[in-house]
Amino acid sequence: MGNKVVRVINKVVVYAFLLLTTLFVMYPLVYVVSAAFAPGSSIASLSIIPFGNGVTTEHFKNLFENTLYVTWFKNTLIIAVATSGLTIIVSSLAAYVFSRFRFTMKKSMMMSMLILQIFPSFVGMVAIYVILLRINGLDTLWGLILVYLAGNIPYNTWMVKSYLDTIPKSLDEAARIDGASHFRIFRQIVLPIAKPIITFLGISSFTAPWMDYIFPKMVLRSSNKQTLALGLFNFVTDKKNEFTNFAAGALLVAIPFVIFFALTQKIMVTSLGGSAVKE
Amino acid sequence: MNTKLNTDGSSKKKVLITSIIFMGLSHSIYFKQYVKGILYALMEILFLIFIPSIIGKITDMITLGSPQPNIPVKLRDNSIFMLIDGVMILAIVAIFVAIYVISVRGALQEYKEFCINKQFKSNKDSIKNIEGKAFPIMGLAPSVVLVVFFVLVPLVFSALVAFTNYSAPNNIPPNNTVDWVGFDNFAAMFGGNATWTAAFGRVAVWTLVWGILATVTCYFGGMIMAVVLHESKIKFAPVFRTIFILPYAVPSVVSMLVWKNLLNGSFGVVNRTLMQWGLINSPIPWLSDPTMAKFVCVLINLWAGFPYFMMLTTGTMTAISEDVYEAARIDGASKFYIFKKITLPLVLYQTMPLIIMSFTHNINNFGAIFFLTGGDPVVADTTSTSAGGTDILVTWIYNLTVNLLKYNYASVLAVMIFIVLAPFAIWQFRKTKSYKEGEV
Repeated sequence: MGNKVVRVINKVVVYAFLLLTTLFVMYPLVYVVSAAFAPGSSIASLSIIPFGNGVTTEHFKNLFENTLYVTWFKNTLIIAVATSGLTIIVSSLAAYVFSRFRFTMKKSMMMSMLILQIFPSFVGMVAIYVILLRINGLDTLWGLILVYLAGNIPYNTWMVKSYLDTIPKSLDEAARIDGASHFRIFRQIVLPIAKPIITFLGISSFTAPWMDYIFPKMVLRSSNKQTLALGLFNFVTDKKNEFTNFAAGALLVAIPFVIFFALTQKIMVTSLGGSAVKE
Repeated sequence: MNTKLNTDGSSKKKVLITSIIFMGLSHSIYFKQYVKGILYALMEILFLIFIPSIIGKITDMITLGSPQPNIPVKLRDNSIFMLIDGVMILAIVAIFVAIYVISVRGALQEYKEFCINKQFKSNKDSIKNIEGKAFPIMGLAPSVVLVVFFVLVPLVFSALVAFTNYSAPNNIPPNNTVDWVGFDNFAAMFGGNATWTAAFGRVAVWTLVWGILATVTCYFGGMIMAVVLHESKIKFAPVFRTIFILPYAVPSVVSMLVWKNLLNGSFGVVNRTLMQWGLINSPIPWLSDPTMAKFVCVLINLWAGFPYFMMLTTGTMTAISEDVYEAARIDGASKFYIFKKITLPLVLYQTMPLIIMSFTHNINNFGAIFFLTGGDPVVADTTSTSAGGTDILVTWIYNLTVNLLKYNYASVLAVMIFIVLAPFAIWQFRKTKSYKEGEV
């Protein structure tokens, strides 16, 4: 009898704890959704009860009609897709070479990549700006893509290299004896086996540009080259507060992200755990 | 000149000297690898042609130009361009030297093989080998070029700026030039200038405290959630798990800006709700009181960061073999005892590297601070140093470069971050499997 009471109390405590956490987690998210549909513009006029002031879709209309939201979205998508694709190609090629070949200065090259990846790339902002200026890459999407790509290489090459080290070399040696070229081995044998880590690499380098603010601000000047982070940030600066417009725009980005993460949760968990924990 | 080589290894010196005299020379005259030899030779010729301009660029880098107040701004020496060009030239020279070393080593290797086989490789063999030899070079070339010019050169440039007076108002090109000042900036940061020293001390301490607190709270927060969901065996665990992953899925710029607005002191929803409920009489200064703002930073970072560790711990916990638990249960161990003695140590051991990585990430976690507080609130020295109450080193670096144009002090901070974090990176390298097995 006493045992049962303890069990019930236990369950109540666990549920109370989980519900409180849920409240904490959902709190800002609920307000983003309600603000996106709330009339008015600033956060000061937002009802403290979600959806308390009624529902309107005027902010979405405003985004599409009066701002360059679609252009921002398109630019960000181009940058994200290109960065992700190029990072996969460049990093996995380099990782394959590091994993399978012996050559002069290999150790020092790998060491320097590991040390380079501890810096946030904006530490070298001034120099990157001048270098982009020299190659006419300022105010262009490809300039920004190059910066992201280069910044992604050190860490990701390491990550893929560690993964490739776990794939037995006998596989590609056998193919080599059969006369396959290195490139063919890489494309037809190594890449398919390394798919989990490549997927993870693709996802992580695809999502990063959506959230970055510093480099787009530095590189992109014209209004039709802005990215989402820049555009959204400008809704809630110190000078103006258009929280509801911001919320509407943020909601439209967050929804695909949430769906995407829900779908790829498993891959992310295994890759996150697997790649780092194994070493 | 005798181009015949002895097969007993006695011509090693001859090959070595010839290959050092001119790049690719021994490939051409001894090994009859004319294509390779000519390519190497062309590279050296190209380098020799550019030597005068290389020397010019490096001289510019050393002098950083001279002030020319009498000529139009556009024509004046631009010290910053000179410095960046100098660093790029040094990078190119380093690459050239590396290729030179490779060519000499290649020649010696070739000779060693000749001594063993007593003959040169047949043409067919060497053609077949071209693909094999070229692949690593082609595979690495894009990475090396990109990393050198967009990561390495900028970082070396930043480090060098720490030894110049590149700062507003008197040393901003193109109007004025910049000069080397040795360790002056470091001296100012470490005792020379009271305001800056105090600000540096304050920010450095908070950066460390932040790094530790942010990592510890997220790690244990995530672990507690994972354990509760895993051990309590409640029906709705998957539902809760999905809800708890949401903060990880929402782009952090968005969530931080939302929190910033909700927590706004005067018109934020949080304060208005609390006041309406009569819980407080005056607004709580969530983000405008320095101590409170620091606490809020850690708390909101917990909101954003615990899902990652929850997923990670769940992953490692499900990977622990069921046999271990079975054995413990048969021995009559209690649930709590099993957790303390089996689950916790195993999970800790497995995720330890990630805790360290997360710590270095948090030290550099620009977004969590910049979008939530922007470094605010303002404290006593903020107007002169631009370091607010919640600024960590990286956000301070950003303020210094963007607002105050004190590039020299920003670079000193970057160098400090490097000195603190580099050991972690080296440690991480040393514990990788390939390093331990002597593979690298």
